[in-house]
Amino acid sequence: MDRSDEKTEELTMIELRHAGRKFRQGLREVKALSDVSLVIRKGEFLSIMGPSGSGKSTLLNLIGGLDRPTEGEVILDGRPLHGITDDQVTLLRRRHVGYVFQFFNLLPLLTACENVGLPLLLDGLPFSKVKQKAEALLEKVGLAERIEHRPDQLSGGEMQRVAIARALIADPAVLLADEPTGNLDSHTGEEIFLLLKSLNDRGQTIVMVTHDPKAAAYGSRIVTLKDGHPAQDICIGED
Amino acid sequence: MSIKYAILGILAERDLHGYELKTNFDDKVGEFWSLNFGQIYSTLDRLEKDGLVTHDRQAQDKRPDRKIFSITKKGRIILTQWLSTPISKVRALRDEFFIKLVFMDKDNPAAVLDLIEKQKMLHLKHMNRLTRRKVALKSKICNRDTLPTELLLDAGLFHAEADIKWLTLCETKIKTEIKRKE
Repeated sequence: MDRSDEKTEELTMIELRHAGRKFRQGLREVKALSDVSLVIRKGEFLSIMGPSGSGKSTLLNLIGGLDRPTEGEVILDGRPLHGITDDQVTLLRRRHVGYVFQFFNLLPLLTACENVGLPLLLDGLPFSKVKQKAEALLEKVGLAERIEHRPDQLSGGEMQRVAIARALIADPAVLLADEPTGNLDSHTGEEIFLLLKSLNDRGQTIVMVTHDPKAAAYGSRIVTLKDGHPAQDICIGED
Repeated sequence: MSIKYAILGILAERDLHGYELKTNFDDKVGEFWSLNFGQIYSTLDRLEKDGLVTHDRQAQDKRPDRKIFSITKKGRIILTQWLSTPISKVRALRDEFFIKLVFMDKDNPAAVLDLIEKQKMLHLKHMNRLTRRKVALKSKICNRDTLPTELLLDAGLFHAEADIKWLTLCETKIKTEIKRKE
């Protein structure tokens, strides 16, 4: 490997090599994704855009190790997700990937602080230590006043902020978001994007899938998917 | 037409000379609307003839006097009336892209679909530029009021989004048409 290759490696956060994903539907085989080769660089804010059924959520799941490709390879921050057991993938995912979903997925009986700290508590860390970090993250996402609130005491935008804080608790290499504002009004959605953008400005790699061009426009790069395959790749310069 | 009211609006805040008027205009709506000095001065002339604006001369060292413009009482009344009246004319549906669609080769839908795809990408890039400007605007600590500019950027975003949605629908309908013919 020559120097330039080493450099490329250093800058690469995620690499997909000819990745594909087939599903069986009864007797039929459905190709959700085929031959996707994609390099996501460290510090990038990548929007993956496509209509429903274009394979974008499947792609996000492959990137985050929630699902495994039926063909090809996924390499996450230098760690191949192939040739290892499901348990090992799960561990890698817990340590290196933060997820934000459309429907927040918070536990209703836990406070904001407990929800945020949960991934570390599951890892066996003591609550006192986790609490401090969870509170700091809630402050970072603008919820210093909501630390002890339960989800039903929070607005939609606040719940998504809690979910973002939770996704960041393990200092993930990459933050993945699946239609993070699909459930929010335009104004609240914009605030969530500004938050994601400010995290990205501080170095957080973000990959977001969306069908919404307004959301995709926050990315520093936009890849469009069509029938399970990347169709366009727009890198946006500072013009 | 609206230049007249924009100038009245700016002068309603304070008296200004022509150059300041232009910078003020650029600051407020320059993002979406460029105006040259010629347009500013000819509009000021017209406003003066109509008695909506007046000017004073200010002496300068070694240079010709400069005109300081101010809004008249009549000007304020006209401005207030205009500000409180909604616009009854709906945006014209006269898109250049539509004309392209009309004259594209009916026997070559692939070329039409290709054009649509390219057009969508251009809109998406435009949205990305607008979004970047909005993010920059919101992260800047500014003492002037940036809300109107932000709202204009939002309008640009919503229009581009509508164009993308419309183009996507065109795509789907053309594809359905192809399938039907097969």
